[in-house]
Amino acid sequence: MHPPTKFSLFDADGQEKQFPPDGPVLLALVKEDCDTCNLTLPLLEAVHRDTDEGLDVWVAVQKRDDIDVLKDRHDLTMPLLDDDALDLSYETDIDTVPTLFLYDEEQNCTLQTFGFDKHEWREIASESMTLAGRPGVETSIDWESLPEQRPGCGARNYEPGVYERLQALKSGDLLSRLVDLASSDDIHEFMYDQGYTDGFPVVPPTRERVWKMLQGTDRDPQDEVAIVPPNLAPITVEKIAINAVMAGARPEYMPAIIALVETACTESFNIHGVLATTMGATPVGIFNGPIRDRIGMNYLHGALGSGNRANAAIGRALRLCARNVGGSVPGGTDRATQGGPHRLTMNFAENEDASPWESLAVEYGFEPTDDVATLMAMSGGPATIADERSRDGRGLAGTLAASMSCMQDPKSPMVDTLVVLSPDHAGIFGRSGWSKDDVRECIMEETAIPLKDRLRSDEAGAGLPPSVVERFGGEQALDLPVPKFQDKSNIILVVAGSSAAKFSTILGGWAGGVYSTPTSARIGSAGALEIRGARGADMDKRRSGGKDLGAFEPNVRQR
Amino acid sequence: MVTQILDPTDERVPIKRQLTPRPEALHGTIALLDISKPRGDVFLDRLEELLHERAPGVETRRFMKPTVAKPAPQPIKDAILEECDFVIEALAD
Repeated sequence: MHPPTKFSLFDADGQEKQFPPDGPVLLALVKEDCDTCNLTLPLLEAVHRDTDEGLDVWVAVQKRDDIDVLKDRHDLTMPLLDDDALDLSYETDIDTVPTLFLYDEEQNCTLQTFGFDKHEWREIASESMTLAGRPGVETSIDWESLPEQRPGCGARNYEPGVYERLQALKSGDLLSRLVDLASSDDIHEFMYDQGYTDGFPVVPPTRERVWKMLQGTDRDPQDEVAIVPPNLAPITVEKIAINAVMAGARPEYMPAIIALVETACTESFNIHGVLATTMGATPVGIFNGPIRDRIGMNYLHGALGSGNRANAAIGRALRLCARNVGGSVPGGTDRATQGGPHRLTMNFAENEDASPWESLAVEYGFEPTDDVATLMAMSGGPATIADERSRDGRGLAGTLAASMSCMQDPKSPMVDTLVVLSPDHAGIFGRSGWSKDDVRECIMEETAIPLKDRLRSDEAGAGLPPSVVERFGGEQALDLPVPKFQDKSNIILVVAGSSAAKFSTILGGWAGGVYSTPTSARIGSAGALEIRGARGADMDKRRSGGKDLGAFEPNVRQR
Repeated sequence: MVTQILDPTDERVPIKRQLTPRPEALHGTIALLDISKPRGDVFLDRLEELLHERAPGVETRRFMKPTVAKPAPQPIKDAILEECDFVIEALAD
């Protein structure tokens, strides 16, 4: 607590009292529903009467309505000041009432105490008499009738809800524009009208809620985290917190949300393209490490769906940041032809315990104890793969391959595809002794069809242009096998869900994955500690750039 | 009741407001604000003439911004708010 040096408050009669007054003063802060305050208010009144005009006794009451109550209850004549706004309480940072500050005639705070300690109060009363010009004269207080000690009560400025409101209003942490609502405005209708939402209601980002959200990270609220396309607008930690509140997040999600925003805005992930594309892609977040349990993410029943706050709010917060700060709005720079429900939020944690393999994060070079989020750009799915019959790895990989061979269209090659295996399916691979690469290689083999069957035709217009044949040696290449996927590393395998049944899910990448690389962030308390693209420079080598080929470089396997 | 929220956007666009409900009839004093664009005075002179002719009970009061290039100074905005019930602003040339 800090003794105040200057303030002004109004008394019960509406008269403004400027602090410090001329001469010595005893200042107390109290609240009505505190037994110790009620015990000590008559003592302060006695000091007020006994010091006569020689010393001011001012009592600041933490609630306006309590002033008259206390005045009547204790028959008080000393000035009771209105600190209903808690300006003085905040400035002095008291956490206990009653709190006393005694100032001498030169406005130096010479004594202070909180709660009731008879020895200390007696010293303050005695010193008050001295300052009032009556040294050695006892007050009329009957000290013998009083207890030795009574603890004080929690000050109102530290009550839950009040503390956050004061911090939000007075700490200077929040610099965003304040939007005033008219008394006739319905907050939810207003936020829809302003275009702030994704179509569902959002939590109104009041200053109190945003301040609380900011407590989830030790990063400065005004730190710039990233430049968000398409508007290329800088996004601060505060703006992320505002959108996180709207998304329904809790403060402990903030490091993950900050990390995702930063990751999304990297060259490697390229959120600009992901959200502008006519193909309707969206960032999908996959979490690994202890953070999954720490913030209560779901990787069991319904992990890819609704019902879990962390899964839903973290992905939604990223989308709202992209919308509100980046300016990505459907029909504007978001040119998605159709989009999909996963564009609202798509975020889940890997069920690492149910996986026979290393986690996705470990595969990408992180430690099992690291908190890691990986973003992938997905435009297709989630599509269910049902295989309740296969009992070994070969059979199950064949089912996956057959399902995946039709993604996007049956002829076109793909790059990234996310395969979310259920624990039951993952267990089959584990029991068969299959590694992730075994699964991938089998899928590559099983999806390989002759080049001629990947060419466009009058009967099915999608596929590779006939001109591609020349690049691989002309007609003799027509029978060469071309897998669906450019490289086995494009088949991304994770495990999520519970051990309920033998269903898995596939999500197709965006534009084959060539414009956006799966990108991972190691998460610390301030956001991303480190960000890595899964493939780095390899991506550039794969980009053909040729219009005839579109984005794809078919993986023609020479015999 | 929520009365203030923090802006979630990059703040490059002004907040859109609901329009004040339209009055059913003209009454009181109408401010005629000339923004200092050429011939704004000609337009407002004629408008004032028509208002006096068609709405005899209504008073008009003329205001002028010192320059077209900057927002109206606060004293002008305060005067319009305090003294008038309506404002008609002559924009552009």
